[in-house]
Amino acid sequence: MATVQVSEAEKVYILHGVRDDLRVDGRGCEDYRHMEIETDVVSNTDGSAKVSLGHTDVLVGVKAEIGKPRPMVPHEGYLEFFVDCSANATPEFEGRGGDELGVELSNTLYKVFNNRSSIDLKSLCISPGEHCWVLYVDVLLLQCDGNLFDAISVAIKAALFNTKIPKVHLSENEEGGKEIELSDDPYDCMRLNVENVPCIVTLCKVGYRHVVDATLQEKACSVASLIISVTHKGTITCVRKVGGGSLDPESIFEMTEVRQDPPPPYSSSCHLPFRPSQHISTGFPVRRSNCNRFV
Amino acid sequence: MPVDTKRVRGPEVSQSPSLFLCKTAANKSFTQKDARVDGRQRGQVDVRSVFVRCGLISQAKGSAYIEAGNTKLICCVYGPREMERKDETDMKSGRLMTDMRFAPFSCRERGSWIQGSDEKDLSLMLLESLRPGVCLHKYPRSQIEVNVMVLENDGSVLAHAVTCASMALADAGIEMYDLVLGCSIRQESATYLIDPTYLEENGCNLASGSGDNFGSLTVAFLPSLNQISGLQSDGEMGEDILTGGVRTCIEGCFKLYPVIQQALTKAVRRKAPPSES
Repeated sequence: MATVQVSEAEKVYILHGVRDDLRVDGRGCEDYRHMEIETDVVSNTDGSAKVSLGHTDVLVGVKAEIGKPRPMVPHEGYLEFFVDCSANATPEFEGRGGDELGVELSNTLYKVFNNRSSIDLKSLCISPGEHCWVLYVDVLLLQCDGNLFDAISVAIKAALFNTKIPKVHLSENEEGGKEIELSDDPYDCMRLNVENVPCIVTLCKVGYRHVVDATLQEKACSVASLIISVTHKGTITCVRKVGGGSLDPESIFEMTEVRQDPPPPYSSSCHLPFRPSQHISTGFPVRRSNCNRFV
Repeated sequence: MPVDTKRVRGPEVSQSPSLFLCKTAANKSFTQKDARVDGRQRGQVDVRSVFVRCGLISQAKGSAYIEAGNTKLICCVYGPREMERKDETDMKSGRLMTDMRFAPFSCRERGSWIQGSDEKDLSLMLLESLRPGVCLHKYPRSQIEVNVMVLENDGSVLAHAVTCASMALADAGIEMYDLVLGCSIRQESATYLIDPTYLEENGCNLASGSGDNFGSLTVAFLPSLNQISGLQSDGEMGEDILTGGVRTCIEGCFKLYPVIQQALTKAVRRKAPPSES
């Protein structure tokens, strides 16, 4: 992960602040930074979204292609994730530097979506055993200021919400083989149900307390963090501990109780249909707009 | 994905015959019965009995072999070795490097020798689980390499790899705060299966996966310090099921602790020079 050097005095300052529920930028331990979500930003994709969480910027593009289903599950399509840490984000990612982080993020995303209810994969099947929709979800990190997992998961949820998969119908040609025809109407498409797509909450252990949405400085003071991916119903789909420190079992149990609070505000705001230039203010600052420009 | 150019492989379209297996026969045996296939009970902390032995590989500083049911792993530790000074942080503490690989014949489907993303992920989890246990500040400017090779994969590979690696580190004489033990659990709606076999881990995905609470959980634990150094879960579970699962894994680790301690003391006695008497 991109790191900053933090002096000992600053570490002590951050630790004392967190102990009193006051972080460097004035937030409480369980407050998120201002988040902006924009969908439909890249016109060449089937679905896209851009999320800005503080200074962290993430751009996700989803492209749907027709492929062969996996041999073990012939009735389902699948998703492929790829995370690219571009050198724009920080100079550490220059060349192959960002590969390790990208692989770690992709592997975590595979785990998060590795269950039956996040995405209805059966709806991605065109003809069992032969053709299915493969959704290539490509994540691009534009700017890195901590808390990558949360921003990426929100962006993926928004991009999948925005994805329009063209409707196909199968016809038989002369030799009896199947032919796939896309409908001519560009608006005749299938949308995905993203109600159960989980969002990731990262909790960093700083001192004796945990903070949500840590900045890079706070990350430098913490030894361990817990990544929890949770749906709006409260089902946990993936838990992972990252970092070189150890956690007390009691603090892990405390963290899993806390993560109930952050997800509902922004995952429920993702359910509301996206209308052009609609500003929705919830108790948690999220601004969404449906615009076709690439910001 | 890097391509293996050194080996002549079969045609690309070759598939494993297990794909064509009749699936209904396999699923029947995993309905909700009380006993599991190998005679252990569901819903109870019934870990498989382990065979552990240290000091197998003479070339390595420390090594360990673990067998739990049919899962067989071997681990060796090299180090502390000198490392070229890369940056400031390495001046104060050492670096731990882990590598976990599967032998191509270890799983049901033949794997490849090139490290896939699964293996990289497991190596990373192994590193994160072991790092809190090792006193790296006592080895500045050095690196310690831990290599785990899975000879046969019959379930809960990461958990046993953690245990095996910490035994190998102890055998190598690396200073540690505590042994790191691993335990994994498979949650199936109402009950849990501790230390699942390969079929129990994967067979349920294809069976009736509807309903909640299907998932697996692996915990790496330091028993004397009561700290969790590694936690990974998969599938979907409710919050209380998750906390219950973590507690069960901790119990499983406590059950394993005396066995590992005994094996280590035996290994130390074997290595120590015989007393003059």
